[in-house]
Amino acid sequence: MSGVNKIIDGRDMQPPEPMERALEALDTLADGDELVLLLYCQPQPLFNVLRKNGYAWQETVQDDGTHEIRIRKA
Amino acid sequence: MHPNLSFEQAPPISVPYRFFVTAPWFGVAAGLVLAWLGSDALVSRWTPGALAVTHLLVTGFMLQAMCGALLQFVPVAAGGNVWRPATLAMVVHPLLAVAALLLATAFLTAKGFFFMAAAHIFAVAIGSYVVVVGFALRRTPAQGPTLMALRLAVVGLAVTATLGITLATSLGSGRSLPLIEITQVHAAWGLGGWALMLVIGVSYFVVPMFQLTPPYPARFAWALPPAMILVLTLWSWQLGGTVAAWQKAVLFVGILLAAAYAAVTLILQSRRRRKVTDPTLFFFRGAMASLLLIAASNLWFAFDADAGADPRATVWIGLLAIPGVFVSVISGMLYKIMPFLNWLHLQRLCGLGLPPPNMRNMISEQAMFGQMRLHFAALAALLLAVPLPLLTRPAGLLFAASCAWLGYNLAGGVRAYRRFRDQILASGASQGS
Repeated sequence: MSGVNKIIDGRDMQPPEPMERALEALDTLADGDELVLLLYCQPQPLFNVLRKNGYAWQETVQDDGTHEIRIRKA
Repeated sequence: MHPNLSFEQAPPISVPYRFFVTAPWFGVAAGLVLAWLGSDALVSRWTPGALAVTHLLVTGFMLQAMCGALLQFVPVAAGGNVWRPATLAMVVHPLLAVAALLLATAFLTAKGFFFMAAAHIFAVAIGSYVVVVGFALRRTPAQGPTLMALRLAVVGLAVTATLGITLATSLGSGRSLPLIEITQVHAAWGLGGWALMLVIGVSYFVVPMFQLTPPYPARFAWALPPAMILVLTLWSWQLGGTVAAWQKAVLFVGILLAAAYAAVTLILQSRRRRKVTDPTLFFFRGAMASLLLIAASNLWFAFDADAGADPRATVWIGLLAIPGVFVSVISGMLYKIMPFLNWLHLQRLCGLGLPPPNMRNMISEQAMFGQMRLHFAALAALLLAVPLPLLTRPAGLLFAASCAWLGYNLAGGVRAYRRFRDQILASGASQGS
């Protein structure tokens, strides 16, 4: 069920680099693959893109304030 | 780039930009009024010149920039949907500009008509803004201390405007009210409940994000905004017409809260994970240092009764607060927000052809640093003009020049957006033909 996991750690990147990398990764995300994004904030502009383009995501907040966002095709 | 993705319609870029490109020119007007009035303007906070300059900055520069920024920040950072943002901006932006000019004219001419006109226009503009943005912030599913601070800031704006409109109509109609007490409460809500609250809410989000610092400590972030509202509510007790002795202590607690926010922000910035240095960081540091200097000055005025009783003491605090804290932090934020919004909006067009340009190419870093140095030189000159009134005129001119340079740099950001947009559209058209 689970495909390839690609991880983007955006915690040490200045915006808009995490979103640039996430959009590039979405371009090549295959069915069943998962993109994992690590950030210190909620990326609302990216959520809008995901919502509009048929992606599902799950967000969990870790103890150190990291938002882990797992994205796959819906 | 991303040909398969479509981008949801955020507010058109013109919504925040019409506010951003207008704001600095009120700073220019404030500086020119100071230069025109010269050495008498800053001898007390109650001179017509000081009141006019203050309101050109708070209702012209600050209110324009903050209203524009919040219209963009609510959807991008808080996930809220503002109802018809383009229409709201088209109505509110010109009304705020006209009302700010009328209010400054009212203070300079002492004509009741201008006070009444300004009060009514502010009521329509700020009333509509508070209802629409307040509704968007109430309905958003997002959570967290940023959202709480933004909601409280909108409440702060409503209270400030209500008291300000009461004062202006009272001055316009000659109605008798405890004007000094209402002014004290109006100023505290405007600077603390609206402006600082908004800066705090935005800082919780953008300082860790753009400056790569650790997040604000959660307990501190949650506790600070309600503590400030408690202080402001107790401070408002004087609206009955008498100032109780304990209210001075309340004011001091409020200033300590603001100083704690400044100290935490500076500590976080010193612990940033990558040593990014840009004009925004220095503007932020200048603003936080001004906030700490306000606390230190209040401590000094509390122990040195003669200094505290001098009418210039409040002018000193006002200059540290308005050009020192708010003009600095707003300038720094605009230099970050504008390139980011340019990028975000150009990104949406990029399915058509060229990749989006680098954010660093939107406004020249050299021009931003140059303007920043001029701003801090103007701030130093304004502060020196408090003990040395002869410096008021050159300080006003320096401040006008730094705001004009800010306006020019921001207009350059708009031109960069248009240039890149036209290049992308032309590239898409040539690929399609």
